[in-house]
Amino acid sequence: CQSQTAHNRNAILVSHRQKGNPLLKHIRNVRWAFADVVCDYLLGQSTCALYLSLRYHLLHPDYLYYRIRELQKNFKLRIVLCHVDVEDVVKPLLEVTKTALLHDCTLLCGWSLEECGRYLETIKVYENKPADIIQGQMDTDYLSRLTHALTTVRHVNKTDVVTLGSTFGSLSHIMDASMEDLARCPGIGERKVKRLYDTFHEPFKRVV
Amino acid sequence: MVQFHDHIISDLLEDPTGGLVILSSGLSLHKLISSLLLLHHHPSSSSGTLLLLSATPSQKSSILTTLNHHQTPNLPSEITSDLPSHHRFSLYSSGAAFFITSRILIVDLLTSRLPTSSLSGLIILNAHSLSDTSTEAFIVRILRSSNPTLFIRAFSDKPHAMVSGFSKPERTLKSLYLRKLHLWPRFQVYVSQDLERDPPEVVDVRVPMSSHMKVIQKAVIEVMDACLKEMRKTNKVDVEDLTVRNGLFKSFDEIVRRQLDPIWHTLGKKTRQLVSDLKTLRKLLDYLVRYDAVTYLKYLDSLRASESFRSVWIFAESSYKIFEYAKKRVYHFGRLDGGKLVGQSKSSTTKKRKLKDTNKEKEDSLPTLTSGVALEEVLEEAPKWKVLREVLEEIKENRDKQALSREEPVIEGEEDNNGIVLVACKDERSCMQLEDCIMKGPNKVMREEWEKYLLSKVELHGLPKRNKNKKKGKDPKGFGILDGVIPTTPGQKAEASSISKQENDALLAAAAEIIKHAKKDIVVEDDPQSCVGSGGRAKGKGKGKQRKTSGSVQVSMNRDDKSDNGAAMNDKSEMFASENGGQINKTDPVVEDGFHESAPKVASSDIAVLRKPAQGVDATSFENAKRFPPVHFYALESDQHILDILKPSTIIMYHPDMAFVREIEIYKAENPTIKLKVYFLFYEDSTEVQKFEASIHRENGAFQSLIRQKSLMMIPVDQDGRCLGPSSSIEPQSITSQNSITRKAGGRKESEKEMQVIVDMREFMSSLPNVLHQKGMRIIPVTLEVGDYILSPLICVERKSIQDLFGSFASGRLYHQVETMVRYYRIPVLLIEFSQDKSFSFQSASDIGDDVTPNSIISKLSLLVLHFPRLRIVWSRSLYATAEIFASLKANQDEPDEVKAIRVGVPSEEGIVENDVRAENYNTSAVEFLRRLPGVTDSNYRAIIDGCESLAELALLPVEKLAELMGGQKAAKTLKDFLDAKYPTLL
Repeated sequence: CQSQTAHNRNAILVSHRQKGNPLLKHIRNVRWAFADVVCDYLLGQSTCALYLSLRYHLLHPDYLYYRIRELQKNFKLRIVLCHVDVEDVVKPLLEVTKTALLHDCTLLCGWSLEECGRYLETIKVYENKPADIIQGQMDTDYLSRLTHALTTVRHVNKTDVVTLGSTFGSLSHIMDASMEDLARCPGIGERKVKRLYDTFHEPFKRVV
Repeated sequence: MVQFHDHIISDLLEDPTGGLVILSSGLSLHKLISSLLLLHHHPSSSSGTLLLLSATPSQKSSILTTLNHHQTPNLPSEITSDLPSHHRFSLYSSGAAFFITSRILIVDLLTSRLPTSSLSGLIILNAHSLSDTSTEAFIVRILRSSNPTLFIRAFSDKPHAMVSGFSKPERTLKSLYLRKLHLWPRFQVYVSQDLERDPPEVVDVRVPMSSHMKVIQKAVIEVMDACLKEMRKTNKVDVEDLTVRNGLFKSFDEIVRRQLDPIWHTLGKKTRQLVSDLKTLRKLLDYLVRYDAVTYLKYLDSLRASESFRSVWIFAESSYKIFEYAKKRVYHFGRLDGGKLVGQSKSSTTKKRKLKDTNKEKEDSLPTLTSGVALEEVLEEAPKWKVLREVLEEIKENRDKQALSREEPVIEGEEDNNGIVLVACKDERSCMQLEDCIMKGPNKVMREEWEKYLLSKVELHGLPKRNKNKKKGKDPKGFGILDGVIPTTPGQKAEASSISKQENDALLAAAAEIIKHAKKDIVVEDDPQSCVGSGGRAKGKGKGKQRKTSGSVQVSMNRDDKSDNGAAMNDKSEMFASENGGQINKTDPVVEDGFHESAPKVASSDIAVLRKPAQGVDATSFENAKRFPPVHFYALESDQHILDILKPSTIIMYHPDMAFVREIEIYKAENPTIKLKVYFLFYEDSTEVQKFEASIHRENGAFQSLIRQKSLMMIPVDQDGRCLGPSSSIEPQSITSQNSITRKAGGRKESEKEMQVIVDMREFMSSLPNVLHQKGMRIIPVTLEVGDYILSPLICVERKSIQDLFGSFASGRLYHQVETMVRYYRIPVLLIEFSQDKSFSFQSASDIGDDVTPNSIISKLSLLVLHFPRLRIVWSRSLYATAEIFASLKANQDEPDEVKAIRVGVPSEEGIVENDVRAENYNTSAVEFLRRLPGVTDSNYRAIIDGCESLAELALLPVEKLAELMGGQKAAKTLKDFLDAKYPTLL
């Protein structure tokens, strides 16, 4: 019995209501098992998901509301996983959006069963994952950081970063370069020169 | 002004509501605008303020120069956000003319800071960049509804941009509430009559490319063709557009992007890479005829260093040729033994590789490389250089002859012929180089470039150890991105690096030679000043002793043949000289006067003296200069109209350009007395020629299509003959909202009160505020620290277009934005807005893959949702759907509070300024740049901005001062180390 719960902790628990949903075929990277749960998919201790096909919503516009009400306040993250399977989306999607938003649900849209399945898998797999891949922590090596900084200037690309670096030798020299020196770099045209120079030499604050 | 300009203006003035004028590029649009401004100030014209919208900086300056020429006292000034709002209000009612940006104008309109009745009209430039949802259209809609009598005059001189997309001219007209479309192609009767009455004398010089250049050009085109073929296979772009000929133009990217944008986020890495590769290849073709051999090689090196892991093309067979031949134009490298130079043998690439492989084995047994190999400099100079010198000599000869045959050439020519020769090049860089070329001779220029090239190699090899570690760390990553598309990569890479190692060593040896040579000089001179002069450079590098010396030598290096003065002094004077030269090139009329009053011969030596005021003038350059007439260089990119100022009598088109040819024609038509001679320097059988011809074709084609569209246009008109505008066709229900334009909206029938939305200033770059306004919402523009749209006291929305979404996930900005929204608002909303004309999905089912991967958008969204369970996500099909969603979300909510919204997220010590326009007041790209530097954090960047003027100043601050600003030694040291770190990687 102990092993059963441990087993279940690593699996998505699927409501019996979802029996026959072709979506289940696409949950392949995570184990799943049927269970008596109030939501459609139990993805973690306090994470759950309801599945809604837009086509179904058109037939039963109240369905989503009743399902959300059933959930009560038991979950921290309540996901409405919406399968966009109609052509004319604007009106039904607006209704779903509004219902989800006003009843504390997070709406995710998938355009295929594969995509919907992948959301369920990913949320389960990433249950305890830190956020660093979306916090923009890029590579910490010198060139990446230099590129990261210099490419804030519009139209400056990676090749330009290499050119600038190899021409001036260090970032402080790049920042201190004259317009003329910048213009001598191959691939750096008039506009880039001006943008770079302005970025470095125009004061941070326009009005003193 | 030429006659047809008058035609254009009188045609345009016929309709008091205005019109849209499209003319060929180069037909002096700035002169048209200037004369409209002159008319505006004419006492007979009706009073009222005239606003000029969306002029580029160069357009502004050329309009101002033209007006200055006419000596009008009423030059239009610029309304900027720096001006306090009451000041702006008085300017708006002053009756003068002003330049203004659409962002300031729309904000002032929405906040009723602009009395619309005091405007007489609006001039909109660059009409080709308009769309029905752009801010300009928004402005016109508001203005039209509150002041139906004002005129709107829109202009574009980019006809090819007017035909992109479906019935663009018609849509543009509607969005500006205009009926009249005026087309003025170069082939229009009046125009061609005027311009061809007395055309300038044209000499077409075809310069053959060197054999190596030809090979490179052929190879680039081959690779391009291969890329295009790959593109065709993707079946995602219209095949007809995929030709090499199209690929030569920048607009090719637009063609491709317009077709791919709707599905851009669904494209595989490979297709995207192909698009960017094609862009790179186009540049390679362009630079082949623009850059000298050494610079071209240097560019290729940089390209290889930055692109090698991503690009598909770099590994193509033909690409190998590009690199090989680019190298051959600069140097030969080979083994000495057997007397055979490997570099020279024209064996196939595979053979060559084998040869080098054996080389490598030998190398292993031979510890000293330099003894076995030789580096032979080739330094091929650009063929056009020679021709340019010949042409200049010819001009000079002819003039001398004329001067002999006629007694007093100067007096006769005084008025309109000052003997100036204008050389038009594409960019500033070519100008400087050609000038050097004429002053010092091509050999010397090539030598200098070569020495610089070698020295940069030395620097790059300064840290070989770290370099290697880095490479190792990176290799697997490159793999992941390539996704096994090119399995040969690692092998080739390793092989390439081992081959190049030997070669690089030879290059290093050559560089060392130069340094040694230079060192001798330095020792002889023993000049402490040289250290001062080059100190700026040397400082950053000083990690090892050896490098330090090489660093300080470097500057003096290039000039070691000038046996006078200290290196540093020389360097400075040279800088000064070239600065001076730049000024002369452009506008200094005083100097110009000085020129044409003296005889040509004297003038030429004048130049030499002016450009080299220091003692550094050596005999040869003086001699060189004597052989040529006074020459001015002009960079086409700078987009200044200098013909009227310089009044040249001979023009050499070093880089042919259609627009400039038109300018010359107009210049000639305006000054029929000047005997104008124009030389065209084309590389024979080059893409340069193709490109020039194709640009003319393309414009003609665009006009033909415009003429056709004009005949089919349907513009709805009301009883007074005014255009009804665009909204009638888009959304019938919003017509009512047009009456509700003012913030009071007194005349509205609906009983519910007007909805309000607070919108961040920066969002006015997008079209959503426009559409919301169309829907009848009141837009309150403010600067928001948190969120883009505030719908109610509870709801805060961060809007992301699909492209933004991907980008800001990558940069981490989105995470940060959501974090602050969650902190301050009950209902934080991420709005994911798809574009109407693009597919409504992230990816097709087949692109989803088998595993959960961290790079997928699904993974990123899932993580975001997991970390911010309170975040709500709104998925919107289009701008219009967003407007509906906003309206429905606001339905049962209170209206947002402007004052509160502004304060949210702003650190408390920072007081709120009334009518604060923060986005406008900051150098945003500098601030963004700063925030990306290591050591700089959200908590200390404000202090840095407060305590330091600019990034350039920051670069020079000592670490103690930084520590003071940043509130810590550690952060300051991190930043300082990064700023001064020696640039390591490459090859």
